[in-house]
Amino acid sequence: MTPVACASGVELLMDFIEGVLPSEVSAALEAHVAGCARCAAFVASYQATPRILRDATTVTLPADIEASLKAFLRARTNAFK
Amino acid sequence: MVVPVVEPSDETLAARAAAGDNSAFETLVQRYQARVFRLACRLTSDTEAPDVLQDTFLQVYRHLPSFRGESQFATWLYRIATNAALMHRRATARRPAESLEAFLPRFDADGTHAATPAQLQVASCADEMLDRQTLAEKARDVIARLPDTYREAFVLRDLEEMPTAHVAQVLGIESAAVRQRVHRARLMLRGYLSDLVGVKP
Repeated sequence: MTPVACASGVELLMDFIEGVLPSEVSAALEAHVAGCARCAAFVASYQATPRILRDATTVTLPADIEASLKAFLRARTNAFK
Repeated sequence: MVVPVVEPSDETLAARAAAGDNSAFETLVQRYQARVFRLACRLTSDTEAPDVLQDTFLQVYRHLPSFRGESQFATWLYRIATNAALMHRRATARRPAESLEAFLPRFDADGTHAATPAQLQVASCADEMLDRQTLAEKARDVIARLPDTYREAFVLRDLEEMPTAHVAQVLGIESAAVRQRVHRARLMLRGYLSDLVGVKP
């Protein structure tokens, strides 16, 4: 099959990671990335992106906001009486 | 001997709450309030999230009698929360978001990456190169700059780590469309992180 160029490989990355590509397309992409330092570096950073942004946006529910939620629901529903 | 306590499932609690059992509703609120708040922060902002949280659970309370259990309770709840977040975004005057297209990867005429391996790799280290506070602020800003459809798909799939098929149910679109939106979002955000630590995409 036609060798994968970096640009077309990038377009297949999400489907590759999710395992929805036909096996021969998946194999050709893997072969390309194995021999291409640029794509190997790109894939690493593509996969790191969700983790970095997930860690950076993790918040816990502050006690005052939790208390406001309960007060709000107490006033408008029959719960938290 | 310790007897394991089996917690009732979401769907069991939802059915009880729909039948008027307020303590079942309270348990569902306790179980999901932190997750809904985190989702709301990611989809809107710290200042809007408390309102989104309140709206979401009020709507859950009101609409529980019509929850038929065709999807999981969590999927149904996330759909309500995602819509509540979108309504809040629309109600708040915002500056037009600057496009993130400039952060997409670049290629030479033959389809080879224009950047060097070291330049392409650098986004992976953004969390080591920036202090926590700066990265948290930049992350919130850039997620807010994504087009609405990309933000919703990216936040649910990659930040809340829901399976693609569940995201598709929440958003009412095909799994292939979820993958396409998440992919575009990842490309832009990856380029943004790279730019943040000093390498143009």
